[in-house]
Amino acid sequence: MLKINDLTKNYGSFTAVNHLSLHIPEGELFGFVGPNGAGKTTTIRIVCGLLKASGGTVEIGGSKAALGTKEMKRMIGYVPDFFGVYDNLKVKEYMDLYGSMYSMNSKEIAKLSDDLLELVNLTDKKEFYVDTLSRGMKQRLCVARALLHNPRLLILDEPNSGLDPRARVEMKELLKNLHSMGKTIIISSHILSELSEMCSSIGIMDHGKLVTAGNMDTIMQGIMGDVSGGKKIHIRISAGMEAAVRMMKEYPNVVVESVRENELIIGYQATDEEISALIGRLIQSQVVLTGFYQEEGNLESLFMQLTGGEEA
Amino acid sequence: MRINPIVKKDLQVSARSMRLAWGLFGYEAILAIAFLLAMMVIREESRSLYGSGNIYNSMVYLFPVIGISQLCIIALITPIITASSISGEKERQTFDVMLTTAMSPFSIVFGKVTSAVVRIMFYVLGSLPIMALSFIVGGLGWSTLFLYLLTVLLLAVFSGSIGIFCSSICRKSITAVILSFVFYFVVYGMTFLPLLLRFILGYNDAGESLLALLWNPGAFFEEYFMITMTGESLISTEMLRKDDVGAITYWFMERNIWVYVSAGCILVLTILFMLMAAWKVNPMHSSGGRKPGKKKKEN
Repeated sequence: MLKINDLTKNYGSFTAVNHLSLHIPEGELFGFVGPNGAGKTTTIRIVCGLLKASGGTVEIGGSKAALGTKEMKRMIGYVPDFFGVYDNLKVKEYMDLYGSMYSMNSKEIAKLSDDLLELVNLTDKKEFYVDTLSRGMKQRLCVARALLHNPRLLILDEPNSGLDPRARVEMKELLKNLHSMGKTIIISSHILSELSEMCSSIGIMDHGKLVTAGNMDTIMQGIMGDVSGGKKIHIRISAGMEAAVRMMKEYPNVVVESVRENELIIGYQATDEEISALIGRLIQSQVVLTGFYQEEGNLESLFMQLTGGEEA
Repeated sequence: MRINPIVKKDLQVSARSMRLAWGLFGYEAILAIAFLLAMMVIREESRSLYGSGNIYNSMVYLFPVIGISQLCIIALITPIITASSISGEKERQTFDVMLTTAMSPFSIVFGKVTSAVVRIMFYVLGSLPIMALSFIVGGLGWSTLFLYLLTVLLLAVFSGSIGIFCSSICRKSITAVILSFVFYFVVYGMTFLPLLLRFILGYNDAGESLLALLWNPGAFFEEYFMITMTGESLISTEMLRKDDVGAITYWFMERNIWVYVSAGCILVLTILFMLMAAWKVNPMHSSGGRKPGKKKKEN
């Protein structure tokens, strides 16, 4: 659906986006992650035709038309991070305005806006003035507005910023719904836990470069398999710590990561069966185990690992 | 015919605000004051020693008084409306979304200018009863009124185009408004520059330097009112000899077509300003943009 090749954006000597290449297949819910100033918004603005790139190409839906042309604009629905609304304009009129900006006729707009307002749960607010809506409602209305011309690609820049927890949940559900309908969605966010829950693939940007991108499950497996050469296992030991450490140091493919008062953390490149065999050996060798668990990989840990601990 | 969505939205939004009602009231009030003052002066003059004694003959002078008053107000308020249109959208953070729609930058600019001109025409049409007095009792023809409305339209579009151009290059409305008036004076002043240069360089005649005044809306209106009121041109063969001016200038004077050519020149300038504004708002034409900084958070 979206193919970005060698995209570069320079502001004088500062490079905001540095030779970025990315491919997002159709039907993906793609999460775009990166610390502040990583170049996410710049990339999004270039794709939406709001910024001229210094170099590189962008293809949307197989079309190689220049960005900012009507053809490209019709393929994108854009929800910016900060947006305003017009005073004295009703929800219905707001939808009508944007529909007519896509040369849609009033009948078509009325039909589609009814459906979309129902989708974003704003049917009862149709006659309300837009500026009287809450931040969460305005955000959902903006999503409905972006979908009005049935774009092939929906781009949301920080859609959850400034929303209360309830509105965030509603937004997440809405995006999941749209994804299940087959829409291709790109969402940039700082709330990594939410992204890991709903995205089917992610891309992590740092200093204008794409650090990693791909399917969410593959990346998560990658995190778990990337800790000191193996899976990270926490073993709680109440007696026999010295014997346990000695044994682990001699055990093949095991790396002792840390030894605490009652906890031993190891990295082990092994299958689940091999892990259970290791635990059995420990119990047999008179080490008193009170518990053990395998550390789960998460987006936060991957993000911190890849961006050198910079905050998202 | 499809109405430009921006015109529709702007009119819808402004019609619901009190600003339009107060604006209309203020506009009519100023015109009414100008009318009463003019009436007072006309009355005093007709009763004076050298006056004709017939007030109705002098009523015709209400037309230039009210007409010029209107033009001054329009020249003042149109750039204010358009200068704050695009920069206002930027301040309201609605402009980016507008640019991502299927509307072309020129149709956005055209819509903004049109909505401002339509609002100005509301004011002008509202003032017609006052204007009509000088026609009913002053003896001016209705075609004069129609032509006057056309010239008002020309001034509104011209002032609006200057405003929209400034709005396209400024981020803040207040800067755009100030810049519009600076541009106004630059456009007015520049047209006198060739004439001034000729005098400085010691020429005894104006040559073709008067042609620059074709681009000056002030000179256009002066000429327009002169022809309407007296039937004579301000820049005429009676005023200037063939040797005083260049061949082209003399040709315009001889055929009495100065006002029409000037209207065309002002229209060209208007289109040029609008095209420049459309070029400026098109993100694909801007050289590099500014480095993104910290954005203002919405409450």
